[in-house]
Amino acid sequence: MLNLQPYADPQYFLLLILGLLPVMVGLYHGHRLKSYETLISLAFIIVMFTGAKWHEGVALICYILWQLAWVFGYTRYRKQHNQTGVFVCAVLASILPLVVVKLTPAVALHPSLLGFLGISYLTFKAVQVIMELRDGTMKDVQLMPFLRFMLFMPVLSSGPIDRYRRFQKDYANVPARAQYVTMLGRATWYLFLGFFYKYILGYLFGTVMLPRVERAALIMRHLYWLGLSPALIGVTLVYSMYLFFDFAGYSLFAVATSLVLGIDTPMNFNRPFQAHNIKDFWNRWHMTLSFWFRDFIFMRVTFFIMKHKLIKKPVRVSQVAYLINFLIMGFWHGVTWYYITYGLFHAAAIIINDIWLRFKKKHRKQLPHNKWTEALAIATTFTVVCFSFLIFSGFLDRLWFK
Amino acid sequence: MKRRLWQIFGPVVLAALLVIGVLLAPLPSGRIAKDKLAAEAVSLSPNVLGGARVKQQAQANGYVPFFGSSELARMDPFHPSTLAAKYHRAYRPLLLGDPGTQSLVHFVDDQSQLAQLKGKKAVLIVSMQWFTKQGQIPAAFDMYYSPLQLSLWLLRARGSEADRYAARRLLKMDAPAKSRLDRQALYQIAAGGPVSGWVRPALQARLQMLRNEDRLFSRFTGAANWHRIEAGEKQLPSTDDPAVLNRLATQIAKQHTRHNRLGIDDRFFRERLGHGKLKALRGSQRHFEYRLGPEYGDFELLLQEFAKNHTTVQFVIPPINARWAAYTGLSVPNYEQAVAKLKYQLRSQGFTHVLDLSKDGNQPYFMQDTIHLGWRGWLAVDHTVAPFLTQPQPAEHHRLNGHFFGRAWANSTEVPQ
Repeated sequence: MLNLQPYADPQYFLLLILGLLPVMVGLYHGHRLKSYETLISLAFIIVMFTGAKWHEGVALICYILWQLAWVFGYTRYRKQHNQTGVFVCAVLASILPLVVVKLTPAVALHPSLLGFLGISYLTFKAVQVIMELRDGTMKDVQLMPFLRFMLFMPVLSSGPIDRYRRFQKDYANVPARAQYVTMLGRATWYLFLGFFYKYILGYLFGTVMLPRVERAALIMRHLYWLGLSPALIGVTLVYSMYLFFDFAGYSLFAVATSLVLGIDTPMNFNRPFQAHNIKDFWNRWHMTLSFWFRDFIFMRVTFFIMKHKLIKKPVRVSQVAYLINFLIMGFWHGVTWYYITYGLFHAAAIIINDIWLRFKKKHRKQLPHNKWTEALAIATTFTVVCFSFLIFSGFLDRLWFK
Repeated sequence: MKRRLWQIFGPVVLAALLVIGVLLAPLPSGRIAKDKLAAEAVSLSPNVLGGARVKQQAQANGYVPFFGSSELARMDPFHPSTLAAKYHRAYRPLLLGDPGTQSLVHFVDDQSQLAQLKGKKAVLIVSMQWFTKQGQIPAAFDMYYSPLQLSLWLLRARGSEADRYAARRLLKMDAPAKSRLDRQALYQIAAGGPVSGWVRPALQARLQMLRNEDRLFSRFTGAANWHRIEAGEKQLPSTDDPAVLNRLATQIAKQHTRHNRLGIDDRFFRERLGHGKLKALRGSQRHFEYRLGPEYGDFELLLQEFAKNHTTVQFVIPPINARWAAYTGLSVPNYEQAVAKLKYQLRSQGFTHVLDLSKDGNQPYFMQDTIHLGWRGWLAVDHTVAPFLTQPQPAEHHRLNGHFFGRAWANSTEVPQ
């Protein structure tokens, strides 16, 4: 049976372009071929979960039914009532499958049966809808638009994470011809930039260089304290580059495919290694995820603490909120010591960064600011970020404990 | 608007046409310079092993394939490549193999060459370590998997007993089972026929593209080992005298094995067995088993190819470092039975050139490390291989026996007399 993993090989891109050709012609002439689009998207989703992955497909169907029940149940409830307990219940129920999937490998040492490719990203979308219903920024949800949003094929497996209302607006409006042609131009550019990122640079760093530097670091580990050999710097840099180019390449494919469908899915990366500080970094790296965390975890935690006056000093409030925010992000990546350390590390980095920014504000007169200090800021941020990726990579686990 | 569309998609269409054109056009192979060829022949690169261009040109220039695995990388001054270069022998070894290249990898990756070896000679260093219960390690197969070479075989196979056996074995490996084209072709062969239907033209098109990739990109392989051969040549005396070489080998080996009791190259010992690693390995090979498993059938695939092409092959069975074997608790009787079984498989089918060194594991300075030949071991190989390659050999008469593909043989510890 045919099985196609998203953006995995040239064959996939050829079939994707062929499959989307009628949609393109339709949009060019000002029509959205809704039924065809739904069918072809479904076809591409089905072939993601065929063969050995059939159980993931079953898990996906069950998962969607579960989310439908909670989202529509809560929508109905919210029209009449607005109790916090019910809202919390709905959010917890919505993230329950994801929690089970993330905890199972840590407890039972095998992957969960509920898991499927993309479960995290679908959960982010569902939770966001419930949150917006609670806030009243969304009054109602319809079945088909919700399903379309949840199962939007180009971003199903790994994002970017769009927002319901933004997506819905793009879907309802067919772009004017000139605008659509501009979108196609962007799509083509992103597609080829993505090829360059993922299949040339990502391959070079991830497949050609990474195994070599890793082997060198493992061979040299006995000669250095804690195995901190020069080769480990190589591992850090090569892995960081691989992580960026692989994921940024994938994200470009997802955005390009969305654009072909006339949907302007938000970008995930904006030159992250040019960030001047950690805060700036999180506004440039995996942006749709970090904005989701900002809006639905950081802000909510902050408001909650302030509303209940749990902490007096405003500075402390944001520090605690950062800690919770990044700790959850760490757990979301997986329940291993290195993902959680990665979260704590970034929480610490952004708290220190905040202290520094306040200090800078107070002593603006005394502190120099020129292109050299800017270069220093970029270099420092880059070093801190790359080190966090070394933690994230799990290589230290192999270096020290295996 | 039409113009803007052209501006966007025109370059893409043009690029696609160019790529397809370059991949499907019959490109020239180009001639590889002599020095480059010498370096490629000892590079042990997976690109050389899985490619066709370098092998084809090497063969045409007096190179003889030395099929083997990890021992080929032990390039001390007495390595076959060093001796052949230093003493301007009539042959030059083309080293094919690396850690993990067992019979099945060789069967697939040597396809472009087997036909070229018609009526010629080759050397095969067969390690008993290949003959585990698992046989070919699937991860290693994936690493050396060459769709180019596999396509050649798929298009050639007719569904004979050997073909069916090979197809079944290949379906157990990950790389070919993952590729839809390979899988379809293998099913057809396993069912007893040649590849037919849409699969055949698809395979031919893929083969053409891969040949062109090989022609284009085999120019860019690294060749890092040649300096080791050159360094070895400098240590050798100017005359090719076995007694002098033997003395020199003893002398050099002595310097390299001063700091451990196993007679292993000190650097290898430090990197691989030092820091307390050795202790953990005491008795670790007590349950090693080389007598059973699918490797015997996979090896038969190679034998049948050699016989079909009337290739005269010198087989070499290297020993295991005796002190290492004792330390790790390897069962010597079982090991000897495995060697006897393999030798029976060779002898009973008419393969007469078998150099069995399996009993020489206790000779001083014979092994560079635990299981790999070095110094005097390489000289012992040379003692047989050089005359084999430089003097005419009578044709062998092979009597192939499909029984060796069977489960009965794979699971048997009984060796007929």
